[in-house]
Amino acid sequence: MRDSVVVDGIGKTYASGVEAIREARFSVVPGEFLSLLGPSGCGKSTLLMMIAGLLVPSRGAIRVDDAEVQGPRPDVGIVFQSPVLLPWRTVLDNVLLPVEMLRRRRADYEGRARDLLAMAGVDDFAGKLPHELSGGMKQRVAICRALVHDPALLLMDEPFSALDAMTRDQMGLELLRIWDVQKKTVVFVTHSIREAVFLSDRVLVMTPRPSTIALETEVKLPRPRTMDMQESDEFNRHVGVLRQSIEAGGRP
Amino acid sequence: MKPRALLWPLAVTLALLVAWEEIVRALRVKTVLLPRPSVIASVLWSQGPLILEHMWPTFYQIVLGFLLSLAGGVLVAVLITYSEIVRKGFYPLIVVSQIVPKVAVAPLFVVWFGLGDLSRLLLAFLIAFFPIVINTAAGLTSVDDDYVRMARAYMGSRRQIFTKIRLPHALPLIFGGMKISITLAVIGVVVAEFVAAQRGIGYLIVMANGLLDTPLMMAAIVALSAMGLALYGLVAALERLVVYWHVPTETPRGGFA
Repeated sequence: MRDSVVVDGIGKTYASGVEAIREARFSVVPGEFLSLLGPSGCGKSTLLMMIAGLLVPSRGAIRVDDAEVQGPRPDVGIVFQSPVLLPWRTVLDNVLLPVEMLRRRRADYEGRARDLLAMAGVDDFAGKLPHELSGGMKQRVAICRALVHDPALLLMDEPFSALDAMTRDQMGLELLRIWDVQKKTVVFVTHSIREAVFLSDRVLVMTPRPSTIALETEVKLPRPRTMDMQESDEFNRHVGVLRQSIEAGGRP
Repeated sequence: MKPRALLWPLAVTLALLVAWEEIVRALRVKTVLLPRPSVIASVLWSQGPLILEHMWPTFYQIVLGFLLSLAGGVLVAVLITYSEIVRKGFYPLIVVSQIVPKVAVAPLFVVWFGLGDLSRLLLAFLIAFFPIVINTAAGLTSVDDDYVRMARAYMGSRRQIFTKIRLPHALPLIFGGMKISITLAVIGVVVAEFVAAQRGIGYLIVMANGLLDTPLMMAAIVALSAMGLALYGLVAALERLVVYWHVPTETPRGGFA
């Protein structure tokens, strides 16, 4: 099976001379849930933005679906740390924004938008404005927006880091449930070790700037994942390995 | 404002009017110096047709000047947002030019544009223009980077980012500017009418002043204030209609004539 995303020797040096990423090399297979884990400021968001085509790498190349990334693509969905919902649009209209931007017919996607909202449990709020929603609900809407145009690849940049711990666990479960139905390739950026282990098939640990990939580990916990698994030995073994790698800061 | 909130200011206004009436009556102040409210009210009634006749040209020039400053102000703000030359070269000039008291150039405008409507319209435009420009420019440029990045990720064009994100985001601030501008447009037109006009409320005030007809002067001022208040109320009502979503209160800027 051909890879969904190929990151081929990517490096990024900012115009200021700061080297954010020295070298990253990995690939993601279709349908895989991959997490990029690392401390704040390690360039993992920068890497995600380059996959999204929003930033240009200084070295190397990125291929999505066998085509080199030259800019944003119509088959990619993205979720940011904050929900970035437009306050003057209703929840439904926010979800349909990518459809409008991509100049597709709104009518073709309205049913799908409503289905996604129902799946995320916020269909009762379709006609409401964002300020009437809680933080967790807003982020659910943002996830629906990222999926409305049925992208093959979903990019998530610390989507739950602004939420409280309990909402965060709940959102992780719901994301897995949606992912299970929608079958997307997911690249998920986080600085939470437990979140990375709980959600992913595979976790890549990034070192501090200038970053490289220090460790790659496969999480073989069965799916569907449940909250109980967080107590299991297997889960905590992964957490231990990843923590050691992060504390070592990339040194072997 | 809720009706209950209006109760206190209305009661105080009424009390002040009664006090004014009684003090002037008791002290026998000459009408030419300070007419009683009841006298002003009766003049307002008896001279109603005359006042209305002069209100019309003032009214349409205020509205025209305001609309002109709205269109021009938004246009210049768009240029400030998208053109580096305008932003770096002209914007500071526009800001610094606000130090010139615009009412002081009214006589100059009469020299340049004559005694007709044009010089009054242009003065109203000049005064009302600035708050629209800086508020709109602030609104268009203060969009959070995340919104633009999100729109770009979904392949939004510059035009789509403008119409679907920047412009709606700027609307609350544009309305803030409009509310200042409409009151400034009133000042602009009336000052221009003071300088040179054969009609209009400003002209009526100057004429009544020349005749030492203080009651007529004050009746004209009352009518003018009522018109200004109504126009402001119209803009505020439109704002509530257009900016229906919840926005944190931002203080509009640029409110000096």
